[in-house]
Amino acid sequence: MAFRPRAFHWLLVTLFVALAGCGSDSPTSVKPFTGPSLSVIGHGQTTARYTAELWTRGNVAYTTTWGQRSATAVGNAVYIWNIGANTPVMVDSLIVENATTLGDVQVSDDGKLLVVATERANGSIVIYDLTNPLKPARLTRYQTANTSNGVHTAEVARVDGTLYAFLSIDPPDARLVIVDLSNPENPREVMVRNMGNPFVHDVFVRDGLLFTALWNDGVTIWDVGGGGKGGTIANPVQIGNVRTATWSPSVGDSEAHNVWWFHDVAGGADAKRFAFVGEEAPGTGGSALNSSNGDIHVLDVSDMSAPREVAFYHVDGAGTHNFSVDEERGILYAAYYNAGVRALDVRGDLSSCTDTQKATDGRCDLRKMGRELAAGLANAQTFIWGVHFDGSFVYASDMLSGIWKLTAATRP
Amino acid sequence: MTAGSMESRDSTRASFTLRAQAIGLVTRLDPGPADRAYTEGYLAQPLIMAHGRVLDGHLGGVLTLDFEGLTLARGQLNTGAYGEGYADRRHPHTYLHEAVAVASGAFGRVGVSLAGGKGFVPFGTDDPMTRPFAAYPVNHHLAQILERYVVIAAASAGPLTLEGATFNGDEPASPGAPPDASRFGDSWAARATVTPHPLVEVEGSFASVTSPEIANGGGRDQRKWSVGARLRQPLGRLSGGLVEWARTDELVGDVRANQFTSFLAEASTSLSRATVSARFENTARPEEERLADPFRYSRNPTDLSIIGITRWQIGTIAVTTPFSVRHADIAPFVEVSYGHPTEEVTPSAFVPQDFYGSTSIWSASIGLRLGIGSMAHRMGRYGAGVPNVPAGVTAGG
Repeated sequence: MAFRPRAFHWLLVTLFVALAGCGSDSPTSVKPFTGPSLSVIGHGQTTARYTAELWTRGNVAYTTTWGQRSATAVGNAVYIWNIGANTPVMVDSLIVENATTLGDVQVSDDGKLLVVATERANGSIVIYDLTNPLKPARLTRYQTANTSNGVHTAEVARVDGTLYAFLSIDPPDARLVIVDLSNPENPREVMVRNMGNPFVHDVFVRDGLLFTALWNDGVTIWDVGGGGKGGTIANPVQIGNVRTATWSPSVGDSEAHNVWWFHDVAGGADAKRFAFVGEEAPGTGGSALNSSNGDIHVLDVSDMSAPREVAFYHVDGAGTHNFSVDEERGILYAAYYNAGVRALDVRGDLSSCTDTQKATDGRCDLRKMGRELAAGLANAQTFIWGVHFDGSFVYASDMLSGIWKLTAATRP
Repeated sequence: MTAGSMESRDSTRASFTLRAQAIGLVTRLDPGPADRAYTEGYLAQPLIMAHGRVLDGHLGGVLTLDFEGLTLARGQLNTGAYGEGYADRRHPHTYLHEAVAVASGAFGRVGVSLAGGKGFVPFGTDDPMTRPFAAYPVNHHLAQILERYVVIAAASAGPLTLEGATFNGDEPASPGAPPDASRFGDSWAARATVTPHPLVEVEGSFASVTSPEIANGGGRDQRKWSVGARLRQPLGRLSGGLVEWARTDELVGDVRANQFTSFLAEASTSLSRATVSARFENTARPEEERLADPFRYSRNPTDLSIIGITRWQIGTIAVTTPFSVRHADIAPFVEVSYGHPTEEVTPSAFVPQDFYGSTSIWSASIGLRLGIGSMAHRMGRYGAGVPNVPAGVTAGG
């Protein structure tokens, strides 16, 4: 066979021209939202760092920061905002040394403590005294070999009167660590257990039950003192598990990210029947800031040993993240990354719908049921990480630009 | 040393070769992370390579020890490099780089082999370690798969060579960490190589890799494609050459989350006593959250998301003047790279202009390659997987 160098040369040129321009996918775009709006009241802007989670109490909001936005601005700051007026005003900040991402923040139910999670290297929780909510005073930084992989989320909850922090630890060897905060200056580990596939992402604790979001392993419900199975905070006993569905049948695994067990004030016998699960699926656009996927899944937990998914909510081209629920009015607020904030009517029987309101697998579609009440920042250039309803207003943390104050939704 | 010179055609009843080599170099990167210039010196690629065969070549073995875990623990400054928790530095390889046993034979005119151990997966092009540059290309993790527990079946007839393999998907966790044996078999690859002419070798390959980044499993999976052509012998003024295209799709279930592509071309020519090599590549790199050390990133992407994709266009020129002294081959070299990174998608949580302070990144290295002994093994290919070996004659380990 004769070899022709010139032909080989042109083959290479053709290959180069054909292939050099190959690029990545574009994300599916979000359809413009045309329903009622959660109107913007004010915007507390900060762009020096990427904003992460938020929490509010009274007239004060705390936002954490994430990743690295510039050569020198890493996610090691907690911003403190005065939210008494329409526009949130940054009044101070906390810097956590040797940290690059502060993924989670929460104020304890008595308002005395602020707990901040540090992720990635040097995983820990940092605990502050909130005697002066605008000037948190650091009590301690709790870091052990069991937390050093990184604390992805730190949920603060009370079980049988004692305050605990539930720390979801990054892999390898993803695990849940429970820390007793009775003496916040000296937290004490009371439980550590490997769980999650490939990680445990978040938990929800209420009435002596622990709900764990275990990604591919779905949601598991544990008795930690209120489930009647002999479980304790030091030795949780599994009650039930459910593998939630996915936003796309092609995904295969649950991608269970967060949970909220709903107690509907007006729910009567079914008041505690439903739990909401956030599915956080990776985007398809190549950046954490330009696309997202994942649905809200509704579980019927009337039998805790056999929870089952009965309904879902889907937004084309976007995925959900954290929730806040107005249990007085029965409204779920969901952070929806590139689709803003979505408000859903979650009062009543979410498992009952007409055939036309069902997906092919039999689950009820909350959108088709008319449960979509309103949306905020839906058509804006935002990327909403967290949402918090404080009884009057809805606050949203925008990774790109800080904190937004929105009107709350109203029931029809 | 060119890859072509490493191909074995020896059919002696028993043979053994041994080689030690290393690169001593000083590198300056400007700017690097945090808009700083960095100047560092290393002993890179300190290797001991052994290759032996017995029983008329029907049974052989390859052993390569790599001591970068001792000399390069912080990684080597390397424009655009990424992988195994390192970014903008090339990560150290594992101490046990290759340990592969090979049984070879023939059925008529078809040479066959079965290889197993820890080593290279039959995917992509030759390892950058065997090519003319001290700096690795950005596409190393798109264009090669190595340091896995692997079993490879290969057959070669005339100009066609076929390889198929199964292996563990997890990438090395550290220089001293072995692969997760429980994951052996969760990934597979196949490569076809054609040598239509003694001058040219063309390969096409595919790999399905399960959760390479999260060792415990459950992370993003990869589907990888590679097409490459290389010069096996000098052609005119070209003493060596390689053109390759590679693509990696990252999947969650069957949904494609990300896609990374690479085009690379490199060539060498001799000018008087010097060898001049040039490389151009255009490669997309995933970005993940950096740690407190800005050259390191989290290998556990909670949420299975990346924070951005950077496209690197890099041109590299290397000049070396090799010579020999007794059994040693010595090659002083100078190497200069210019890199231009841009964010491929917007908005991105990794913006090269913000991270480096510039999108023009220069790197220069000066150093010395030193090798003692010889090696009758083409790194990354085993037994009948070495192309164009006449039937009945075993090679490559």
